[in-house]
Amino acid sequence: MIDNFSLALSHGLMLLAAWRLMFRSDLDKEESPARHSDARGFGKNRQPDA
Amino acid sequence: MRDLVFIAFLAALFIAGLKRPFIFVLAYVYIDNVAPQRLTYFLLNTVPISQIFAGLAIGAWLLIDDKRHSRIAPRQIMLLILLIYCGITTSQADFPDSAWDKWDWVWKALAFAIFLPLTLRTKLRIEALALFMVLSAASIVIVGGIKTLGSGGGYGSLNLMVTNNTGLYESSIISCVAIAMIPLIRYLMKFGTIFPPDWRVTVFGYALIFACLLMPIGTEARTGLVCVALLAILALRFTKRRMLYLTSIAVIGLAAIPLMPASFTERMGSIKEYKGDASASTRIEVWKWTWDYVKDNPMGGGFDAYRSNEIRYNTIVREQNGSQVELKRVLIVDRARAYHSAYFEMLGEQGYFGLVLWLAIHFGGIWRMEVLFRRYRDRSADDGRWIGWLAQALQQSHLVYLVGSLFVGIAFQPFVYILVAMQIGLDTYARRRTAEAAWRPLGTNRLSPA
Repeated sequence: MIDNFSLALSHGLMLLAAWRLMFRSDLDKEESPARHSDARGFGKNRQPDA
Repeated sequence: MRDLVFIAFLAALFIAGLKRPFIFVLAYVYIDNVAPQRLTYFLLNTVPISQIFAGLAIGAWLLIDDKRHSRIAPRQIMLLILLIYCGITTSQADFPDSAWDKWDWVWKALAFAIFLPLTLRTKLRIEALALFMVLSAASIVIVGGIKTLGSGGGYGSLNLMVTNNTGLYESSIISCVAIAMIPLIRYLMKFGTIFPPDWRVTVFGYALIFACLLMPIGTEARTGLVCVALLAILALRFTKRRMLYLTSIAVIGLAAIPLMPASFTERMGSIKEYKGDASASTRIEVWKWTWDYVKDNPMGGGFDAYRSNEIRYNTIVREQNGSQVELKRVLIVDRARAYHSAYFEMLGEQGYFGLVLWLAIHFGGIWRMEVLFRRYRDRSADDGRWIGWLAQALQQSHLVYLVGSLFVGIAFQPFVYILVAMQIGLDTYARRRTAEAAWRPLGTNRLSPA
């Protein structure tokens, strides 16, 4: 009973997640962050300016 | 009946994968964690579903997926070297038969961890992977949580659906993994887009965290309690009112003790008096043995090299003689004791080089996540703040694992290598994002240095 409840809940949510993923085009392709600030880091890892 | 439901579930994932091939990767992760073939009695356990979905995932990536931005990260190369090196030590192992048995699943975990980051090209993919990790482990954790509330559990007696003590179903492993999952659950509750934050996500998330916290109680695995303590300390970093936080943790802890099963409090009490505890004494003896062993065998003895150990140690036993309690030393001889520590497991099986490489892979991850966290934590929501907070969650999960594995031999636990792969994927993603963002004319939208 408990086993089946847990399996149904977790598997149901995974199915729902897969269903939602099917209709999300950003799963495979996303816009490039061209308008966002560049990540520059800190300390030794600080990236040089573009 | 259950077989049919699992088959329907896998079939649904398969069909979804035909539209979005990345779902094959998620299905493989699910199979790797939940092992549905072990929860059924016929049909599924005769079909190699794990291989089928691994094949689909890799095939789809090779044939269809966009590989323009694929980069190999340094840690992927380290994983590859570790994989090759383990292959060499396995071929020269002290106990070839059991070494090849272990190699059989270790190479898959490592190879998948090398492959997985290549597929993690988008934010949504990284999130989907985290979600599937959490939900697949949840199917075990929810069972454990409810049963612990109902019966109180017990060491080795909490029924987690399968009787064979393997994979995530082993009590020390699930209690460590459950605690390591908590930071990821919190991340998904806050930054999720597949299940965006609302009251249902909040209720489920907190209920799942509660179930995770119950796992160390239900399984009575002491490692879990150490992991909980570590997580509580790590949370201090983000707590503004530290005294209030510490006081409330102490109050909740004290209030919870009377509610715990008696066997749990007794077992946890044995953490501090390890001298009278055979399990703790054997560990220390096995570790000494490993240290001596590797001096003679610097390359380690291959998988399962512990089988050659024979350890003698004294343990203290209480004897009740009427009203007198006598403490007696008893000599115990033990053969083929497992390492009970991932660090000594690496040292004994893969020697100095294997241990160093393993440490570099894991602590390298802790360091990289710190770099990402500092770089992104204060960004705006549409400017990659999620990267910083996911890095933070992954770092905390990883630290819980690294502390838990001090006392459990889980150097190659596949769940953790998926975590490592997610870190590498996130790191590569952030790097690519930086490169793309930097590629624009000077002077436009430029922000002053943070």
